[in-house]
Amino acid sequence: MTAYIPKHIPAEGYIPPSRQREKPKSDYKWIGKNMKRVEDPRLLTGQGGYIDDVKLPNMAHAAVLRSDRAHARIKRIDVSKAAALPGVLLVMTGEDAKKVTGPTAQFASPPVVQYCIAVDRVRHVGEAVAAVVAETRYIAEDACELIAVEYEDLPVVIDPEAAINSTGDAVLHPERGPTNLAYRKTFSFGPVADDFAKADLVVERKLRWPRSGGQPLETVGAVADYQSGTGKFNVYANSSFVNYVGWLVGASLGVPAHKFNLIPVTTGGSFGSKLFPHKVLTLTATLARACGRPVKYLEDRIDSTTSCDNHGSDRLYRCKLALKKDGTILGLKFQVIDDYGAYLQFGYGTHGNSLCQIVGPYRINSVEMELVAVMTNKCQQGAYRGFGSEVTNWMIERMVDAGADALKMDPFEIRRKNLIQPDQFPYVIPSGNVYDSGNYPAVMDEAVKIANLEKWKGIQAKGRAAGRCIGIGVASCQERSVFSATEFWSLNPTDNPGFQLTSSPESTQIRIDPTGCIQVTLGSPFWGNSPETMATQIVAEQFQTDPANVNIVYADTNSGFNSTGPGGSRFTVMIAGAIVGASMKLKEKMLRIAGKMLEAKPTDLEFREGKIGVKGVPGMEKTIGEVAIFAHYFRLSLPDGDEYSSGLEASYVYDHPLTTMPANDRSHLGIFYPIMGHMCHLALVEVEPKTGKIKILDYVAVHDAGTVVNPMTLAGHIRGGTAQGIGSALYEHFYYDEAGQLLTATLVDYLIPTLREMPEQIRVGHVETPSPFTEYGIKGGGEGGRMGAPGALSRAVEDALSPYGVKIDELPLTPRRVRALVRAKER
Amino acid sequence: MKPPAFEYVRATSLADALQVLGRHGGDAKVLAGGQSLVPMMNLRVVRPAVLVDINRVPDLDYVRVDGKELAIGALARHSALHDSEVVARCCPLMSEAYRHVAHKPIRNRGTIGGNISHADPASEMPAVLAATGATIVAKSAKEERRIAAKDFFVGPMQTALRTGELVTEIRIPLAPAGQGWGFEEEANRKGDFAMAAIAATVTLAGGVCSQAALAVAGMGDRASRLADAEGVLAGKPLDDAQIAKAAALARSSVKPDASYHADAEFKRDLVATLVERALKAARSRCK
Amino acid sequence: MSKSVTVNVRVNGKAYTRTVEPRMLLSDFLREELELKGTHVGCEHGVCGTCTVLLDGQSARSCLLFAAQIDGAEVRTVEGLAQNGAMSPLQQAFWEKHGLQCGFCTPGMLMVATELLERNPNPSLEEIREAVSSNLCRCTGYYNIVEAVQAAVALSKEARK
Repeated sequence: MTAYIPKHIPAEGYIPPSRQREKPKSDYKWIGKNMKRVEDPRLLTGQGGYIDDVKLPNMAHAAVLRSDRAHARIKRIDVSKAAALPGVLLVMTGEDAKKVTGPTAQFASPPVVQYCIAVDRVRHVGEAVAAVVAETRYIAEDACELIAVEYEDLPVVIDPEAAINSTGDAVLHPERGPTNLAYRKTFSFGPVADDFAKADLVVERKLRWPRSGGQPLETVGAVADYQSGTGKFNVYANSSFVNYVGWLVGASLGVPAHKFNLIPVTTGGSFGSKLFPHKVLTLTATLARACGRPVKYLEDRIDSTTSCDNHGSDRLYRCKLALKKDGTILGLKFQVIDDYGAYLQFGYGTHGNSLCQIVGPYRINSVEMELVAVMTNKCQQGAYRGFGSEVTNWMIERMVDAGADALKMDPFEIRRKNLIQPDQFPYVIPSGNVYDSGNYPAVMDEAVKIANLEKWKGIQAKGRAAGRCIGIGVASCQERSVFSATEFWSLNPTDNPGFQLTSSPESTQIRIDPTGCIQVTLGSPFWGNSPETMATQIVAEQFQTDPANVNIVYADTNSGFNSTGPGGSRFTVMIAGAIVGASMKLKEKMLRIAGKMLEAKPTDLEFREGKIGVKGVPGMEKTIGEVAIFAHYFRLSLPDGDEYSSGLEASYVYDHPLTTMPANDRSHLGIFYPIMGHMCHLALVEVEPKTGKIKILDYVAVHDAGTVVNPMTLAGHIRGGTAQGIGSALYEHFYYDEAGQLLTATLVDYLIPTLREMPEQIRVGHVETPSPFTEYGIKGGGEGGRMGAPGALSRAVEDALSPYGVKIDELPLTPRRVRALVRAKER
Repeated sequence: MKPPAFEYVRATSLADALQVLGRHGGDAKVLAGGQSLVPMMNLRVVRPAVLVDINRVPDLDYVRVDGKELAIGALARHSALHDSEVVARCCPLMSEAYRHVAHKPIRNRGTIGGNISHADPASEMPAVLAATGATIVAKSAKEERRIAAKDFFVGPMQTALRTGELVTEIRIPLAPAGQGWGFEEEANRKGDFAMAAIAATVTLAGGVCSQAALAVAGMGDRASRLADAEGVLAGKPLDDAQIAKAAALARSSVKPDASYHADAEFKRDLVATLVERALKAARSRCK
Repeated sequence: MSKSVTVNVRVNGKAYTRTVEPRMLLSDFLREELELKGTHVGCEHGVCGTCTVLLDGQSARSCLLFAAQIDGAEVRTVEGLAQNGAMSPLQQAFWEKHGLQCGFCTPGMLMVATELLERNPNPSLEEIREAVSSNLCRCTGYYNIVEAVQAAVALSKEARK
């Protein structure tokens, strides 16, 4: 490996050696196959077991009264009529809850305090003001309407630039500072001033990325059961973090970690929004403890759109790209103002995240980012598929296109000129992260080939001759995978860094029962990813056994091991590592035992077709079942020593395969997200200038996710992710008016694409450059198409409207916006 | 999002329904398809004390030719009208408009009577009725009235129906032989309510336009006729230049409301474009 | 006038009698009164189609129906698709073609597809797309759902041979 390391980063020992045990190869039995999903039969027959399916004896139901104004002091709350309604068990205000439950868990430093029910003031429309527990959800909602809240309105701040200079009563968290500016700092990586001085050309753009959000069809919910005798909570919830930081909710509730058991359930989609639903968990548990019965709380759709705590990035960029006149990109400088809304649960992690691939797939020498984080009267930002990197991907591609236009270069040509080359990996980017492997020119070649770009150009030429606006767009983007915990805090003020956690493991326990069936325990839940299928294929490969012999179960926090969970496209890589680790321990023991049974040396034995046998001697073998029953029940037939103890089980904690600390002075951020996937998206669109309507005529997505475990499920994420990218680019917008009212709060107005808004086909291609650092060379691919679609579509629309000279620098490209852009040029 | 409590009455006959509606007045709402009403109840923006379920009232679900008119019972479901050969033959404008109405599960339940009584400004059928000069038959316990479409739609979500009155039938003049039709709509997504929609019919005689009807929906007010634009077409050849004039007049005559998805200027642009498209489509269908 | 209503319905071929508040939505009736959890709730304002069931053979959004109003009707939900423990050809096809990821929209998709295939066992691609476009899916991007319905058409043809 000839690594590329920029000059400002110490080269010696920067990249630790690889811990990869299973090297990639080409003749797998199970890995790489389009196996039908293990998860599906129960989902297809209506037996999914989602949170709303959970019903405990004597269970009551909660509803939440939410603020109808964006910023106000709570003067008085009169719950008397609500409490008196037949069927109501309890009504709780923020003050009531605060007596027994502390602030919700959060990762910002310094912290921004949030309670599960607002205390003293509300800071966004939809914030919880009171909660009711009743015999039914119907009655609970009736009671909410009987609660009288007296507010004293405060000034509302919606504009992120205005938020920087807010004063007095317009400041959301006065204890944190005199304005709504949460943070401002410039991070410089590499010789930025030099690169800009050397440039022949600097292109500038102002870019606006709007807020959208995951909005899975299933909202967040929890069923909490509190046993007063033991002081223990058992909470069912559709949270992605179960065995990682669930105990923090226990801390809010004032109980030690072992008194808070979080039980995973089948989850109906997340896309980041269920990573850590601390507010719902804390609220539901608080209500259960207060009312003495199990309580179910399920957000309804309005609860979710207004108060999910997981709106996506909401950013205004001012960018400069330094280029030479031959198209070589030297440096990138930008200011980003990010409107975090009313709270700051993940700190500025969405910017730490994007710094892992801040040069895109290009050999850009230096980067400078001025991060301006502000708080406004909107729902808090959280995670949405990309966690901020999908936005910088879009920004980078917009700037590269701007450079191409300024130099009158073809957009493909400028990209090819700057792509990191296949012989430069591992490649260290200016911010310190590593790109582990890749072949970006090959991905672009494949995309161009699948699209038949010449044919597209012909369609465009013919269309233009007939007066139609047809455009082609390309986006060449990174999809980092396997997040490391350092991204959450690496941008924190160095004088107040907070909890500098560096662990983000995944664990598993594998048991082989006396019949030879292999049971794998996962510490992280299902939400539409395919953890059972991935685990099954990998275990089948490890033991060379039929997948039907593999069984997957999920662990709650009582019984689970350290498991960070699905997020940041990490799950398949991490569970592969954990399974390989546990399997290797088990296989070693099984070979030893089989060796005794077959009177052979373990090194002469192999796993083959569900059996363990002597290499080269067919027929001299035992089935896994025969070895298993022997291992379980025949202790005295085996030698002394712990290595022959009864049973077959092993657990393994797999830590992040490649992560290092940031420099103290933050001149680099260390290696924190190095398993680097890549994609090239091509879009062919037609725009109707009179109506602003965009039709996607054809679409190609080629992805490199390293070794692919199941091409069918990966393609599912590519297409599903592209659909969400189309949504963010063209349809979806959480739009707040000047009074802070969310105008797009129902699904009538928040426009999730239907089948009709999708192109008829998204033609998917794969290129595989295995990772040198992960087991089997797998890379994550779950965030998929959302990382690339906005860039490809923005360019395609810009290209389509080039006769008008329209530039695309703001999303979503609604018909209204597009028509306004055209109209301005028509005048 | 659960609805507030109400008292439920299942009407078994029209007389029964009208009596209950008459007795409860403004406290009661009619449950027909429920596709507009129930979402509003679940969101608690509408809270009737009494819900009168008229789905079992017999003899209100039909579509047939009756003399020179197409008679449609108020309880005719959108899906039946969408698929109806009678409608395609006698009011092809309505069939064309149905391509833009919602989705099948909603059309299965939603009724045309309920839809026009609800009078959503962005709904398609009111524009069809305005363009075709339909008559709406409304009954109360006391009397039956016939209300012309132009008088029926009064404002946004407002009709000429009095308390205690129910739409029982819609009567549409049979489309004259040779008449062309066009229905054009722009919506956020296919099946959504219209940002703007134009229903058009034209008849050509002796090389000129002898009849033109243009109705607009989506402007935030009632579905209404574009009289100025119609006027500029009458008696003139229906060529592209004339169509462009009509479109320009339509654009300047509408007073659109504004929402996040569509501001007034955008809606005016859409009206002009859709009038052109609808008239050209109608012209191509003239025989 | 009633503050509570007695409802007699057949659901997946089985007769039920329950007395409920008039305002109880059909979606809640199925899930809470009849313990049929397969019908899911996504928005409760009639947009997403997750709650779709078949009412007297026609697709309908159960969050927009009151249990009270469907007395005497025949309802079919996802739980009624498999026969004798065996998945229907449509369910099989969804499995083969990876027509689901989180599974939350899937029952609704299966019901609109069932309506389509019962009306027309040999629908065109456009008719399949029209049916699927009624319902939202946030995971798949829809392509595999269409493929699954096409595969179901083929599987059913095979089964009939």
